[in-house]
Amino acid sequence: MNYLFLQVLTGLQISALYMLIALGLTLVFGTLGVVNFAHGALFMLGAYFAVVISDAFGFSVALIAVPIMLFIVGIILERGLIRFFYERSHTDQILVTFGLAIVIGEVLKTIYGANNLPFAKPSWGSGIVKLHEYLPFLEGFVAYPKWRLILVVVSFSTVAALFLLLQFTRFGLIVRAGMRDSQMLAFLGVNITRRFTIVFGIGAVIAAIAGLFGGPITQVEPELGMKLLIPSFLVVVVGGMGSLPGAVLASLLFGMALSFTAKYAEIQQIIIYLLAVIILLVRPRGLMGKKGLME
Amino acid sequence: MEYVVSILKKFPLTVFALVVLTMPFWFPWIGGYGGLATKIMIWALFALGFDILLGFTGYLSFGHAIFFGVSAYATGLMFKHFSDEIIPAMIVAVIVGTLASVIIGYLTLKKSGIYFSILTLAFGEMLHSSALSTFGSFTGGENGLTLPDMIPSMLGIEMRGEVMFYMTAAVLILGYYIARRISASPFGLILKAIKSNQERLEYTGIDVQKYKLGAFVISAIYASVAGSLMVVYEPYVGTEYLRWSTSGNLVLMSVMGGMGTLIGPIIGAAFMLYFENVLSVPLGEEWLLVLGLIFMAIVIFLPGGFTDGFKLIYKKLIGKKSDGEEN
Repeated sequence: MNYLFLQVLTGLQISALYMLIALGLTLVFGTLGVVNFAHGALFMLGAYFAVVISDAFGFSVALIAVPIMLFIVGIILERGLIRFFYERSHTDQILVTFGLAIVIGEVLKTIYGANNLPFAKPSWGSGIVKLHEYLPFLEGFVAYPKWRLILVVVSFSTVAALFLLLQFTRFGLIVRAGMRDSQMLAFLGVNITRRFTIVFGIGAVIAAIAGLFGGPITQVEPELGMKLLIPSFLVVVVGGMGSLPGAVLASLLFGMALSFTAKYAEIQQIIIYLLAVIILLVRPRGLMGKKGLME
Repeated sequence: MEYVVSILKKFPLTVFALVVLTMPFWFPWIGGYGGLATKIMIWALFALGFDILLGFTGYLSFGHAIFFGVSAYATGLMFKHFSDEIIPAMIVAVIVGTLASVIIGYLTLKKSGIYFSILTLAFGEMLHSSALSTFGSFTGGENGLTLPDMIPSMLGIEMRGEVMFYMTAAVLILGYYIARRISASPFGLILKAIKSNQERLEYTGIDVQKYKLGAFVISAIYASVAGSLMVVYEPYVGTEYLRWSTSGNLVLMSVMGGMGTLIGPIIGAAFMLYFENVLSVPLGEEWLLVLGLIFMAIVIFLPGGFTDGFKLIYKKLIGKKSDGEEN
């Protein structure tokens, strides 16, 4: 019982980070139709900003400042670069964002060096939680790092917030309509361009949240972006490109798979790739991919 | 100027062969050295094959390190357990690389461009991490496959220094010749049609899937030969040969040089290695940052790469000249 519970919890915690990164990727892809290879770099930027600001002013300042900074970075990128690529091929989009990822990585490397930056957790987030005190079905002593539990909570709250925003606000309605047919929406007199810019900014904010809460459990180094981008992309593809519930489902699947194979390192190294290949062979559109989108 | 271009147009292969074969004489003038020339040839071959896939069909693979790396490992293992003769090692390596490409191409090419890019990237990472851990006992794990005191030889001739350079150069010239023939063939025409309008091509009753797989496998064969030559040149198999960064570098050089031109990716490969090894000395640690910026500028402003840039400059020069004549 204890073993099963802990594996599930670890699985949740692994999927939480994938989910956050994949969420931003799939949001931007689903709405703007842009494949953003620089999303991992945005996440990494979030983590670096978080380290630097929480060192200087404390984590609570970083908590507010980093998402705002990334939102601004996102807006600048969309206005200054990405928008020129809406009309160009997906290959060009991949190429230019790949170039951007290299540039961001190298800038960070130049400023902070190639080594890992230590990310100090705030005092309220460090230590462990004695789970057996809260959950009566657990036997004996069961503890779990507090920060990892916080990450899970933050991740699921972000998913819920994004879902509510898209499903129940006027902004969300327009964005969802824009995903279906942006040209029609423009004819109806809706300023879709501005909304798309904001969507890209929101994608960057989600990357900032991932950096803030994911940074302390990963290493903050210039390779981080690409390291997490690849599995996150797989999450997006396996979930079905542009599908938010699909991304959630696929990241849970990957998290569990990684957690339950932890005893067998040889299998764990390749399990998510194997899973991805099998799922895509059976369901080429991914778990929850919509028909006709990106085929 | 026009005279030079007309020669280039009439005898592209001869000019190419001359430039390549005389490299040991002119390359040191611009700060290069012998070993780097060989390395450039190998990467040029890799990029040349990649152009048959990316340049012709427009399918952007982020996993070509697979074929480079798998064949490098196969070559290394042959050297270690069989003999230091390069011919059997290279044959086995190319067969292994080709088989891998048939399987991976079959699984990934059904998807649209984006799926293809991401899936090839995923396959690459899968093989990279399995080489590090799952098959670590064969591949040497994190240390790579070391081959101490090994000097590969062909029919008893040691493959190093100038011999190695001319062997590689010959392979590259042959590869360039074959690629040009492919480009001019009906097969090449269909590949280019895939890039411009795949749907329309399907309506004419052509089995596009088969042609895409053909292009994928051919480019993988080039990659395998290059990967194998890399181990002959430097008897050591680094884990980074299988890593995404190898695929990424390949994409960088192909795009910077100019996709779909065959000569473009070769120029791109030469530029990138020259940049990495020679220009990085004055630039210091930031060379990759500069390269990334150049790459982005090219994607944004000059999607045709260097070759397109040359054409533009040439047209401007000719244009100015004719203006001058009128005056």
